[in-house]
Amino acid sequence: MPLLEVYNLKKIYTTRFGGNPVQALTNVTFSLKQGEFTAVMGESGSGKTTLLNIIAALDKPTSGEVFLNGKDIVSIKEKEISAFRRDNIGFVFQDFNLLDTFSIKDNILLPLVLAGKSYEEMIELLKPIVKRLKIEDILEKYPYEVSGGQKQKTAIARALITKPQLILADEPTGSLDSRSSSELLHLFNEINKDGQTILMVTHSIKAASFAKRVLFIKDGELFHQLYKGSMSNEEFYQKISDTLILIATGGVRNE
Amino acid sequence: MNRFFYAKLAVNNMQKNAQTYLPYLLTGIFTVMMFYNMSFLAVAKDIGSLSDSGQLRKLLSFGAGVIAVFSVIFLFYTNSFLIKRRKKEFGLFNILGMEKKHIARIILWETLFTAVISIGVGLAAGILFSKLMILLLFKIITFQVTFGFEIPVTAVINTSVLFGGIFLLNLVYNVLQVHLSKPIELLKGSSVGEKEPKTNWLIAIIGAVSLAIAYYIALTTESPLAALQLFFVAVVLAMIGTYCLFTAGSIALLKMLRKNKSYYYQLKHFIPVSGMIYRMKQNAVGLANICILSTAVIIMLSTTVSMYVGMEDLLRTRYPRNILVSARNVSDEQAIKLDAAIEKQALEAGLIPKDVIRYRSMSFPVSQDGASFTQDHSNNYAAGNIAMVVCLTADEYNRMENKSVSLDSSEALLYTLKGDIPGDTVNFNGFELSIKERLDSLETEDKMSALLTNSYFLIVDDVDTIKQIYNSLSGNQGDMGELSYYYGFDVAGDKDAQISLVSALQKALKEINADCYVEGAESARAGFYSIYGGLFFLGIFLGLLFMMATVLIIYYKQIAEGYEDRERFEIMQKVGMSRDEVKQAIKSQVLAVFFLPLVAAVIHIGFAFKVITKMLAVLNLTNVQLFAGCTALTILVFAVFYVIIYGLTARTYYHLVS
Repeated sequence: MPLLEVYNLKKIYTTRFGGNPVQALTNVTFSLKQGEFTAVMGESGSGKTTLLNIIAALDKPTSGEVFLNGKDIVSIKEKEISAFRRDNIGFVFQDFNLLDTFSIKDNILLPLVLAGKSYEEMIELLKPIVKRLKIEDILEKYPYEVSGGQKQKTAIARALITKPQLILADEPTGSLDSRSSSELLHLFNEINKDGQTILMVTHSIKAASFAKRVLFIKDGELFHQLYKGSMSNEEFYQKISDTLILIATGGVRNE
Repeated sequence: MNRFFYAKLAVNNMQKNAQTYLPYLLTGIFTVMMFYNMSFLAVAKDIGSLSDSGQLRKLLSFGAGVIAVFSVIFLFYTNSFLIKRRKKEFGLFNILGMEKKHIARIILWETLFTAVISIGVGLAAGILFSKLMILLLFKIITFQVTFGFEIPVTAVINTSVLFGGIFLLNLVYNVLQVHLSKPIELLKGSSVGEKEPKTNWLIAIIGAVSLAIAYYIALTTESPLAALQLFFVAVVLAMIGTYCLFTAGSIALLKMLRKNKSYYYQLKHFIPVSGMIYRMKQNAVGLANICILSTAVIIMLSTTVSMYVGMEDLLRTRYPRNILVSARNVSDEQAIKLDAAIEKQALEAGLIPKDVIRYRSMSFPVSQDGASFTQDHSNNYAAGNIAMVVCLTADEYNRMENKSVSLDSSEALLYTLKGDIPGDTVNFNGFELSIKERLDSLETEDKMSALLTNSYFLIVDDVDTIKQIYNSLSGNQGDMGELSYYYGFDVAGDKDAQISLVSALQKALKEINADCYVEGAESARAGFYSIYGGLFFLGIFLGLLFMMATVLIIYYKQIAEGYEDRERFEIMQKVGMSRDEVKQAIKSQVLAVFFLPLVAAVIHIGFAFKVITKMLAVLNLTNVQLFAGCTALTILVFAVFYVIIYGLTARTYYHLVS
């Protein structure tokens, strides 16, 4: 059974003052197997973030279904949704979304505090992760005192600490310089090797070339997909790049 | 470019920022109005017709001064808050190609509009309300209302100059702010990364110590006169303590809580504690201000209200009888003449003296040490050991109380009004008397003096013994002279009859003894009402002003925090916090910030209560229950008011956050 199944997802935004409704997602169907590292690519406004928000249960679709491990996300009650998100999904955002009022350590522990774990348990879970991400030295520092790369690592640690089924990353390299980006993407690869399922939204070809599979989304529809197979990062990069050009010029599937 | 381009832009800005601008404008209008009214009253012609106008005018001018100082601080504070919020907007203008001088021009227009609206509307409202104010004041001081309407030019000019100056100051500050900053900083404005505040133990300890000293002074000061002197020391210390503890103490405490891992890493403590550390850094001074303002409002209102409500009590304390005659150095013959003269005058006025207290005595101001007394040289009435010993002869006592006590020359009866003499003897610088009996009651003169210092009445066998006490105390220097004379009585006549009796007595008795002093409660009533009523009026007036300041500070705090917290709570929701948990966290934070100053104010008042009752005793208010009631009621009214503001601002806050 796939870990994540998305069927016929449709999302229409209507403005409050009765303006023209905007169709963010027209009809999206795909599935994600356990242990996959998949990137979703598309231009700004193509519906990537809407898709991610629906999978994360931050937003409700107009129609369609989303199953995580066989559980219907769309029909989860409002009250249980936060706990569900906390236990099953880890988030990595473009602008890190760290809280300035917490030290790096407290930022990482936040989901565990929300889950009501004891302090001893928290430390048990924290140790291996920070060692792995090499951020042990900055635990007592504050977000404004560390670099962008370190902030994003903190965000990853925060996403990993609850041992989620799925990690959702929204433009994780968007605010990073190229060196930090590479480091981060390698880190994603490593985590993925350990069996962590990752779904990443990006419009960076480089970021996408690290994934095993790339889904292309255009005007709210799933347009095309590529598998990396045995390709190297560079080859895959070229392939993605070509595909994007084709999509942009309307080549692959003429409309 | 159109000449009025900047003016239009300024108007546009003010409309867009109405959420923060409107309260600022209202504050401006309100303070202008209050200042005008107070300075109007201080010079109003109608007040000139009052018998005691000088005192009242002084009081009102003082009130105007307080409002002036307060307006400067407060409008400046509000303005600096506004400009901080708007830096981003100015940064945008700057980046869009507007030079700083152009931004300065916009600011100039904005300030000009604000100033014109505030001063114009404020003055108009002030003039409109001035008649109402003077009516209210006259009602409070029970004075006949006159008719007429005046607009004193001096008051208008004073108001315009003062507030023109304040707005000019704000303008200079704003232009400087824009000039000193770089465009990129302007654009980032208030969202520059905040450093975590450091624990400043020194300041925290200074705060704790000064507050402890202030409370100690407030609790241990027994003598009312000392209370008057020490109260201001205590107030200053309490203010220092409040500021230090709010700024450094709160952070020290929160950091200690954070060190306690099993406490800190719980959902209900995790977010509030960490959030409060930051919040206290930005808001500690504001919260301390609110705390001090609240304390001031409550104390001011409760004291002035209780003095006003307790006016009759107060008059009776000050004047135990409606008419009081006292004279010093009165010989036996003179005393008889005085008695006759008083009876004659009363008869002529058609009034019959009732509840007469009449006696002759000798008073010694002394320093007390247990049961021994020495002459007091310091004249320092604030010193704790000063006492008043009033000596009466046994004959006088027997006549007053209808008794037939006989004493020998080494015996005395003791009546203690206030204080304590241990043992069976009293010693006057070596001259000793044994206490034969301690009396439970004595019809004596003004109880008021007793509350200021320790007071004892000593009944001895005759005048010679009193002279011996005098000689022993003074070291055989000089002559004691004659005894003093005291005659107090109530009469049933109306106010005018009593007043004319007092003046008739003053004239008649001066001829017998030059050192004679006649007072009447009714003659003093108008003066009491004009002073205490004036204080009451001032109390309400300033109370309102301070309350408005409190409201505004809280409102701005909530808005500022709302903007900052919005982001934080968004992140928390993404990480897996539910809406309810977010709401709960917001609630506990807002509650803490809101009610911390009020709770601290109530604690301050609790500790200050005793010393304030002592001070009120100096002002003749001895009714502690009345004062307690007034205080409780004021706190209650204030708290209700506070809760209403809380409700209103919390709504704005939720709206901003969610």
